[in-house]
Amino acid sequence: MAENKAKETEKISCVDTLARNPLYVGLAIGILAALVQVLLISAGGPEAYGFCVACHTRDVVNVAVNDIFGTKLAVAAISQNAVLPVLTVIGVLIGAFVSARYYQEFRTKTGNVKSYIWYLAGGIFFMIFALFMGGCPYRMGLRIGYGDIVALIGVVAIIIGVLIGIKIATAIAEREE
Amino acid sequence: MVAAGWLSKDVAIIAVPIVTLFLGLLIGWLAQRSGFCSIGGLRDFFMFRHTRLLYGYLALIVGAFVGYLVFWLITPSAFENFFWILHKGLMPVPGAPASLTVAAYVVLAVIGGIAVGLIGVLLGGCPLRQVVMTSEGNIRSLWFVIGMCIGAVVFAAWVSGWGVALLKMTGIA
Repeated sequence: MAENKAKETEKISCVDTLARNPLYVGLAIGILAALVQVLLISAGGPEAYGFCVACHTRDVVNVAVNDIFGTKLAVAAISQNAVLPVLTVIGVLIGAFVSARYYQEFRTKTGNVKSYIWYLAGGIFFMIFALFMGGCPYRMGLRIGYGDIVALIGVVAIIIGVLIGIKIATAIAEREE
Repeated sequence: MVAAGWLSKDVAIIAVPIVTLFLGLLIGWLAQRSGFCSIGGLRDFFMFRHTRLLYGYLALIVGAFVGYLVFWLITPSAFENFFWILHKGLMPVPGAPASLTVAAYVVLAVIGGIAVGLIGVLLGGCPLRQVVMTSEGNIRSLWFVIGMCIGAVVFAAWVSGWGVALLKMTGIA
């Protein structure tokens, strides 16, 4: 009995070792996104839409706003046709919360009001620019896998943005010293 | 040809929320365990030459390609335009409906990409990481996620229309 339990724990820690390595997580997300497309594409396009934090949030929020206020904000066909929109982001929120609780990594971290305003503005602009590009970095990755050259240009632009961001962050840090 | 996956349309429209919810649960768990982050991966690589997170993002691209390839071989009808560039050339895979020129999409991808990379680095993570940090109890990330929700409505209600009008005015679209 005790031996079985030890084996069980070993099995869990083995899965956890895989889950803690971004390499395997990335592979898993890519393959799962393809699996979702093969399962659900009959409900409507677009293609290479299996996983995207920006677009899927847009779908949930805009479908909700459309239902409540009777507006006609644009959403992807798959969310328009289905009984409920894609709930990936809700799943991520719950999954990460359960995981953080289970592994006792849940810590409430607060900031000051100024930082909240920065994050709120950052979120608004992030979403707008991500939707300009046609998705968050993850959907860009899926689109590259699907053979889309514009997505590749988008990722190169993200790299340029990251380099500019590092320069700015370093400058701010130096000024504060 | 109508795109057809494993589930028929009647079943698929009911399955969409269920399947994507489970996908999200799984990805949320994996992302919480690994600290998975695309923009964080690029940042760590350029600042410290750490490749751990960057390999995760590259693995996502490889995994997506392999996944699409394998499922395309099994069920070609679910992947009408795989490999995209051979069917549609330089036109990007659409998100929400829009009909612009290739040049306009490239301009949008460059502007959007630079801004996304910049904001991501300054606020410490890509949207997935922000969502996961929200679940880990980070209130600042919660405000980021709320901002994303507001941004979605602002974009659909006003910005997308203005953007297209502006692009048409400059003759790019």
